[in-house]
Amino acid sequence: MNQSNLIEKRRLGLVLAGALAISVLASGCSSTQHHADASGSVSGTESAKGESHEYLLTVTRPNNLHVIDMESHHITRSCDIPGSFGGQISLSPDNRTAYILSNGMENVYGLNIETCEQVFSAIQSTADVKVKTFVSIAVSSDGAELYTVQNPVRRLKDEFKVMSPVLAVFNTEDGLNARPVRTFPVDRRITTIAAAANGEVFLGGGDLKAINPKTGEIRMVSALQSEDRPRWLTPDAFAMFNLGEQANEYILPYVTAEFADDTMNFETAAWWWGMNRVDLATGKNQRMEFAPFEFIIFNLVADPNDKNIVYGAFNTISKHDVKNKKVLGVKDLDHTYYNINISGDGQRLYIGGTSSDISIHDHESLEKIGSIQLPGDMSTADLRVARLPH
Amino acid sequence: MKHLKSINKKAKMLDQATGSEELDEVVAMQTVVGCTGVTDPGWEVDPFGGLGSLCQPMESDLYGCADACWWPAQVPDTMSTHPDWSSDVAKANQDWRKLDGIFPEEDK
Repeated sequence: MNQSNLIEKRRLGLVLAGALAISVLASGCSSTQHHADASGSVSGTESAKGESHEYLLTVTRPNNLHVIDMESHHITRSCDIPGSFGGQISLSPDNRTAYILSNGMENVYGLNIETCEQVFSAIQSTADVKVKTFVSIAVSSDGAELYTVQNPVRRLKDEFKVMSPVLAVFNTEDGLNARPVRTFPVDRRITTIAAAANGEVFLGGGDLKAINPKTGEIRMVSALQSEDRPRWLTPDAFAMFNLGEQANEYILPYVTAEFADDTMNFETAAWWWGMNRVDLATGKNQRMEFAPFEFIIFNLVADPNDKNIVYGAFNTISKHDVKNKKVLGVKDLDHTYYNINISGDGQRLYIGGTSSDISIHDHESLEKIGSIQLPGDMSTADLRVARLPH
Repeated sequence: MKHLKSINKKAKMLDQATGSEELDEVVAMQTVVGCTGVTDPGWEVDPFGGLGSLCQPMESDLYGCADACWWPAQVPDTMSTHPDWSSDVAKANQDWRKLDGIFPEEDK
C-alpha cells in the first residue's frame, strides 16, 4: 500500500468518524414514587429468568436515576444523583447498586436502586488536576472493584498540561470518597469498557484491547485503527454506550469497506457494518462484518436467547441475522434514539437516549407496542436492565 | 416569491415549508444552537451525502451534542465550561425556546 493510499485511508477514517458523530454525544435520596404515562399496554410480560423481576435503568435531566418496572412500564423510583447531569451506568453483580458517572463525566456515585441510598462515591478531580472519564466505567464480575479510565489535565496558571490516561481501580467496599487503589497507563481515546469473568477489563478505543487490572499488562484483542488488512478500509469503531448485561457480552461496532481491487476505489467498494463481540463469561472475542452500511446504527444488542440475532437502533430499528449477513427487518422510529436494550425473554426491545421517551418494540415485527414517558431528557445516558428477586 | 404561485404538489410543500411561522422557528433555533449560526458543520449532511441519517429532529440531539462536548462550536459545552446552560430545561424537545445562546464573559 503506498503512502497516498494510507493518507486517503486516514482521511476517510476521519470523515467517517465525523459522519458517525453527526449521526449520531451526596446522597440526595428523593425516592419519589413517580408514575409515568405508559401509553399502550404490552402483553406477554412475564418475568424472564425465573422469579426475578426486571427493571430498566436510565438517567434524565436534571440528574435523576429512574428505576422503571419492565412489566408495568411505570417508574418505580427516582433517585437524585449529586452534581450536574451524567448518565453512564454500571451495575453491581447483584444488580442492587448502580454506579453512575455524574457531574460532567467526573465523579462516580453508587446508589442502591431499592432505596436511593448513596453507598459509594469517587471524586476524581483534585484542586489542580481536572479528570474526565469519557463513559469508561465498569464493575468487576465479583463486585469488589470499580474501574474507570481517567483522562487528567493539570491546570497550571498559564497552561493546561495534558497528562497520560490511566485505568483507575477502586475498591467498592471503600464506600464514600473512595480513592484509586491502583492505576495503570492506558491508550488515549478509550470510551466504553467492560469487565469479564476472567478478570480482564476490555478497553474500547481505537483498537480493542484488554488489561489485567492487577498487573497493568495489556494485550491486543482486535486491531482496528492499527489494522492493515489488504483491500479493506481501516475500521472506524464507535463506542458510546455500555450494553451487555442480557447476553453477557460487550459489543464494539465499527464501519469498514471492502475494496474490489488494489486501486481502493471507494465508488466500487462494499461498505460494511462490523462488530467485535466479547463473551464476558470467557473473555473470548469474535469479530465479523454482518450488515451492509446502508443506514446508521448507533447501538447493537443481541437477543439473549439467540446471539445470532442482533438489533440496532438510531433513526431506525433493525434486526440482523449475523451469520448469514442478512437484514431481517427495518422500521423507522419516531425520532432519533441513541440506545437500545432488550427484555430478558427477548420479546421486547427498549429504545432510549436523546429525548424524554423510551420506545418499546416487538422483537418479531419491530412494530412499536408502547412508550414510557420520562420527566426529562436522557441525552447520552445508558439504558441498563437490572434483575432483582422481587 | 410572493408573485409566484405553486401549481404542483412539490411546489406547494415547499411553500408550506417556508411559511413565515416556520421561518421564525428556524431563526429561533439558530439562536439556540450557537455561534456558528446558519451553517452548522456536522449537522448538515450525513455519511451518505443526504439528510435522512442525521439526528431527527435536531432537538433530540441537542443535549447529546452538548453533554459529551461533541459539537462544542455549535452548542455550549456542558461538560466543562457551561455546566448550567440547560439546568432549567429538562426537556429540549418541549422547551428548547427557553435555551439561550452563550456569550464571552467580560473581564471585570
